[in-house]
Amino acid sequence: MNELLTIFFSMALINNFVLTKFLGLCPFFGVSKKLKSALSMGLAVIVVMMAASLVTWLLYYQLLEPNGVEYMKTVIFILVIASLVQILELTIRRTNVALYNALGIYLPLITTNCAVLGVTFLNVQEGYGFAETLVAALGAGVGFTLVLAIMSGIRERLELADTPKSFEGMPVAFLVAMLLGISFIAFGGMV
Amino acid sequence: MGDFSGNFKKGLIKSNPVLVLLLGLCPTLAVSTSLDNAFGMTAAVLFVLISANIIVSVIRKWTPDRVRIPVFIVVIASLVTIVDLTIQAFSPELSASLGIFIPLIVVNCIILGRAEAFASKNTILDSTADALGMGFGFGIAITIISFIRQLLGSGVLEAFGKKIVEVPGLVDNPMAIFLLPMGAFLVIGCLLATLRYTGVIANE
Amino acid sequence: MNQTDFRKDIMPVLFLTIVVCIAVIALTVVDGITGEKIAENDRQKTLEGLKEMFPEMDGFDMASDIDVFIIKIGDEVVGYAFNVTAQGYGGDIGLIVGIENTTLAEDDIILRGISITKHSETPALGAEIVKPYFKDQFEGLSASEVALTKDGGQIDAITGATISSSAVSNAVHDAIIEKAELIRTTILEVE
Repeated sequence: MNELLTIFFSMALINNFVLTKFLGLCPFFGVSKKLKSALSMGLAVIVVMMAASLVTWLLYYQLLEPNGVEYMKTVIFILVIASLVQILELTIRRTNVALYNALGIYLPLITTNCAVLGVTFLNVQEGYGFAETLVAALGAGVGFTLVLAIMSGIRERLELADTPKSFEGMPVAFLVAMLLGISFIAFGGMV
Repeated sequence: MGDFSGNFKKGLIKSNPVLVLLLGLCPTLAVSTSLDNAFGMTAAVLFVLISANIIVSVIRKWTPDRVRIPVFIVVIASLVTIVDLTIQAFSPELSASLGIFIPLIVVNCIILGRAEAFASKNTILDSTADALGMGFGFGIAITIISFIRQLLGSGVLEAFGKKIVEVPGLVDNPMAIFLLPMGAFLVIGCLLATLRYTGVIANE
Repeated sequence: MNQTDFRKDIMPVLFLTIVVCIAVIALTVVDGITGEKIAENDRQKTLEGLKEMFPEMDGFDMASDIDVFIIKIGDEVVGYAFNVTAQGYGGDIGLIVGIENTTLAEDDIILRGISITKHSETPALGAEIVKPYFKDQFEGLSASEVALTKDGGQIDAITGATISSSAVSNAVHDAIIEKAELIRTTILEVE
């Protein structure tokens, strides 16, 4: 249990995917302008990360490794993610049209979210077992969502502030990310 | 159509994938801690970008619309795996320092983005020009950032194993923050602001 | 299903399948070519590491059941070496650790030294672990001395890279105690 908690907090806070590992930056800067869309995106990412981790873990250890074709993981993993995102998109479209419209183009973008592919690679690299893989994916997703939410909250306020023209938009967002990163270092003391 | 140098040049500055289109941020910020990393990553991205653009352009008339994204992904993923295996075999040090960012080239939005937005709709020659421009544009961006981070963060500039510059006071007391993740955000934020202020690239 | 339906539904899947097949063939070929080289690289690295620590050696045996290299000059055993993996800041750190040929009782383990085979640490920070000023500290230490100075040991951490330093130090400490015990029970007892 201790192990699992350590993995969760490590993925979510200490080695936060966005701020420390630089994974998931595109959506991080692209989606984080409004809190609501940030949370929706975050939730979708958590779901995809966990599903993808589960499937890729099974495929890697049941299919790729026993047959000595580990090098196929890049192709297989991304296909799994692409398929899962498609399925998720179809499911949301059929069950909750409002949500589907809110997420808009962000859904297919999850496929190219390096954080999702990143977490599947990490699971294999760290040699995680089944439970550890799921916890790691959950942690990564939660960490991503957390940072995304904080960022969007800040950016909503920034829209109204008087930023120098050259810094408006992305540059100041980067500086905010830097400050967030610095504050997250404090979590290093947790372990 | 058929404007090779135009297609090439736009990727360098005006439509620089990293600094203007804001694509491919993940690898840029993550590996830009040394010039060697920057060059290695650029070479890998160039190879995949050019090959992918050419292949996508060649098969664009036969690719059914419904499966085009999965097809692009398989092509890109395969090219990336080839690059990954090649680097592992012929330069293990580069493989270790670039880490998981080589296989992550698969989701480097630059590559899928150009395949989807350009190569699938343009001739082979144009697509090659576009790939070269975008690839070098990426290289320019990541090199500048690595230059700043390595110089300020460690006081020395090294490339291909040889020292180029060593700043006396800085070597003993480098500003290590630049090598850490937050330093990356700082550098790119200020770099973007400076480029916009001086008019090199357009304001948002 | 008439002609056009057939084309519309089957063609895309067929196309994708063909593309995937071509991809698989290409990758299998490349893996065949590079696989040998990669294995060779690993062997080279290991050999270099062993030579670095035991310059006087002229050969070694392999105790496969416990993954230990038995370092020899002629027929005389000079020491032992084994691979160790530490969890660094940026991923796995691969090392080879060498110990002297002593009784290997818990209080009688002497380190020959360490050699870093691979790492993904940050240049100028964690990457300094490969530099002599850090590595050489391990030479000649007894097991209990292998710890950071702040934890009562003899290893000075690299400034600004405490995580990398302690990762290496702790991994080395745990490994030598574990391997010494294994060597005592399997090799020494037998001989």
